[in-house]
Amino acid sequence: MSHTTVVTSEPKENLWAGGRSPYNLSYGKIMMWAFLLSDALTFGAFLISYGTTRFFSAVWPDPNAVFKSFPFMGHADLPLLFVSLMTFILIMSSVTMVLAVHAGHYNDKKSVAKWLLWTIIGGICFLACQAWEWTHLYGEVGALWGGFTDPATPVEKFHHFFNEHNAGHILATQPGVAMQATHNFFNYFFTITGFHGGHVTSGVVFNILILVNTVNGVYERRGHYEMVEKIGLYWHFVDLVWVFVFTCFYLL
Amino acid sequence: MSGHHNSDNIQHLYEGDQSKLYSGVLSHHTDINSPESKAQVKKIWKVFWILLIITVVEVVIGMFFSHSMPKGLVNFFFLALTILKAGYIVSIFMHLGDEVRSFISTVLIPLVLFVWFIIAFLSDGFFWLRMNNSSPARGDTVKEAPANAKHTNGH
Repeated sequence: MSHTTVVTSEPKENLWAGGRSPYNLSYGKIMMWAFLLSDALTFGAFLISYGTTRFFSAVWPDPNAVFKSFPFMGHADLPLLFVSLMTFILIMSSVTMVLAVHAGHYNDKKSVAKWLLWTIIGGICFLACQAWEWTHLYGEVGALWGGFTDPATPVEKFHHFFNEHNAGHILATQPGVAMQATHNFFNYFFTITGFHGGHVTSGVVFNILILVNTVNGVYERRGHYEMVEKIGLYWHFVDLVWVFVFTCFYLL
Repeated sequence: MSGHHNSDNIQHLYEGDQSKLYSGVLSHHTDINSPESKAQVKKIWKVFWILLIITVVEVVIGMFFSHSMPKGLVNFFFLALTILKAGYIVSIFMHLGDEVRSFISTVLIPLVLFVWFIIAFLSDGFFWLRMNNSSPARGDTVKEAPANAKHTNGH
């Protein structure tokens, strides 16, 4: 009887017994993930220190009051609209990137080039939006790193960043506390969106490089488009970070 | 089915020259107009619409309800929707959902550190605000601090 069951079910595969890659992934992609993990910790440290500062501030600027402008709309009160557009652009460019990666799986050179081009355009549009927002904040609001430190600053310079309902009392009695919060808010805002914008910029540069390589047939000769996948991971990560920046700075 | 071929017997491709890995694995993908390929593209666009709708919901809450609803509830919605969006991006766009389980764990487990970072640092900020004698939060200006916080903290 015991001889009848010669073919047993396969032994449970042990991924970690050696002799094989437990990850089923190429070295390059594993290393890109390792880099993204470390980058996530960097962005996490930025956002958590922002949160800590916010928690020990008695008042904090109201994003609906700070970010309410839209290009060519003058002084219309349009909270969150412009940053929603930026978010839409970045999600859209993430979709075009994943479509480029998909086309790469099928060695479809023309589609890879097309979708990479759209991704680059999306990235440049996002950076243009950010440039406008920074210019607006600096030019019309007077905010940049290190602003709002002079104790003689009149309260009119920053009281409009706050929600009267929550912060009115402090603005009236201790404007210095509100000014300190304004100072911290903009320092974190420019540092974190600047660091993110730096990532978008380098992502656009990488995308241009792989577009040139794709068009020149480098990956076609190599037989695979793994480089597009790796840069795709980086690009999606940049979109992912923006999701958290958007929540922390504009929503919460 | 996915672009990642976890079930294929491709072990030999990981040893030595990995440059054959992708050309070897992907050689049977030929037709981008195949139903399999179209199904994947459809999935990508579906995720795009989900992300867009979540963002629109967030913005609508932020614009119209953030001052009329309890702040804690609004923040809970924002954080839950953010985690959901992040999950879709990582799982579908970054294809982490298609990788082998050991790799998913390797990526996600270190991120558990964030749970502790967030709790530790934010509670420290919260504590500092109320420890500080000169802090206006010891009055009645911050919602979380009741008007009598001055007395309870002071003794």
